[in-house]
Amino acid sequence: MSKRLYVTPYRCIDCKVCEQACSLANTPVPGVPARPRVQSFKVDDQNNFVLLCLQCDEPSCQAVCPVGALERNPETGAIEVNDKCIGCGFCVRACPFGCMDYDDTHNEYIKCDVCKGDPACAKYCPTGALVWSDKPWTDQEAEEYAKKKSSDPFTIALEMTKK
Amino acid sequence: MSEAKTNETVHLTIDGREVDAPKGAMILDVARGMGIDVPSLCAHPGLEPFGACRLCVVEIQKPGWDDWYKQLVTSCLYPVEEGLKVWTDSDEVRQNRSVVLDLQMARVPESDYIRELGRQYGVEKTSYAERDTKDTCIMCTICVRACEAIGRSAIATLSRGPDKYVDVPNKDACIGCLVCASLCPTDAIPFTANDNGKRRIWDKEFDLVTDERTGEVLGTPEYLAHVQKRAEGNGLVWPETLKQESAKVKRYEYARKLSRVADVEDRLADEAK
Repeated sequence: MSKRLYVTPYRCIDCKVCEQACSLANTPVPGVPARPRVQSFKVDDQNNFVLLCLQCDEPSCQAVCPVGALERNPETGAIEVNDKCIGCGFCVRACPFGCMDYDDTHNEYIKCDVCKGDPACAKYCPTGALVWSDKPWTDQEAEEYAKKKSSDPFTIALEMTKK
Repeated sequence: MSEAKTNETVHLTIDGREVDAPKGAMILDVARGMGIDVPSLCAHPGLEPFGACRLCVVEIQKPGWDDWYKQLVTSCLYPVEEGLKVWTDSDEVRQNRSVVLDLQMARVPESDYIRELGRQYGVEKTSYAERDTKDTCIMCTICVRACEAIGRSAIATLSRGPDKYVDVPNKDACIGCLVCASLCPTDAIPFTANDNGKRRIWDKEFDLVTDERTGEVLGTPEYLAHVQKRAEGNGLVWPETLKQESAKVKRYEYARKLSRVADVEDRLADEAK
């Protein structure tokens, strides 16, 4: 668990690339996009925000789960939903941040599992608002990164589909 | 819910493939983990194994047995053993499954799911007398076990023998969560999820709580009270907003609060420079 997903909301430009990448990475049936585990918002004129599961030390979702369907992956430190889920939805009500959700197209309960150690959102985030790293980036590092990376969603979408 | 109690593993052979499995694991879970398709109706990874449907039968042979001698066991209830040999799709196994499905088709002639499964095992039409009923319950008790797991135990099997049936004897215990209906393999539990703000299941009518801003249905008041009780029992703080807000609104509210904080902190940092 050396790497973490660092979130720096003020770098978010609300381009929705993270949502797109997340949905693509977690889609179980090709052609039927999954609900993204991450969400970026335009909170007001000045502020954007990007929110995904905080992987709490004492997760409410895990505490209320009656069948032990939410377990921490020791390798990534993320809480993952396993196949024990019976679909009671207690976790969705218990999460104070709304990061536990129900995907009605695929009929499954979803949360961020940092893509089992390779988060797609951080891979494609053009500004360094989401970073998968062993330490948080300084603003300078993020700026240099942003200069190299295209922030045009269309270019990024092409990049995603290539792999 | 067959979990290994220790780190010990046992070595066995399933369909000719050798595998190491944690001690105490059931054959069904190990086989499915290897990607082998073993049919079953009553098994669920999150619930206690029960062995009701008998569809997951496999053939086993213990070390030391004569070569010709094998035994049929329900794989959902049989823990792995050292040196065990397992066949999940032999002629004997298929023959047994087809008998099980033949009987099920006589019990629930209206179930499309059972009919489809029967077709896979070569049973087009039951050879027994069909029951004259629209009911599709096969007595797998997945609903009973699920309701017990979530802490309500509202559903029970009543009566005995051929007259045995599943019902909710104490209507107050039902919280209208619909877990039973969604897990039922043969869709035998009729319900109306949302009919003009009312939910109906097990002959009981519930009100529904909806998020004011998105209109998303959050559940019945009984359901929300149960989750709250469960959360508080586990030492969680339970703000009133958790009961009234959908996941989307919770995310937005959290972002709104925190982006303000970030904004203020930035400004303070700038001023300090």
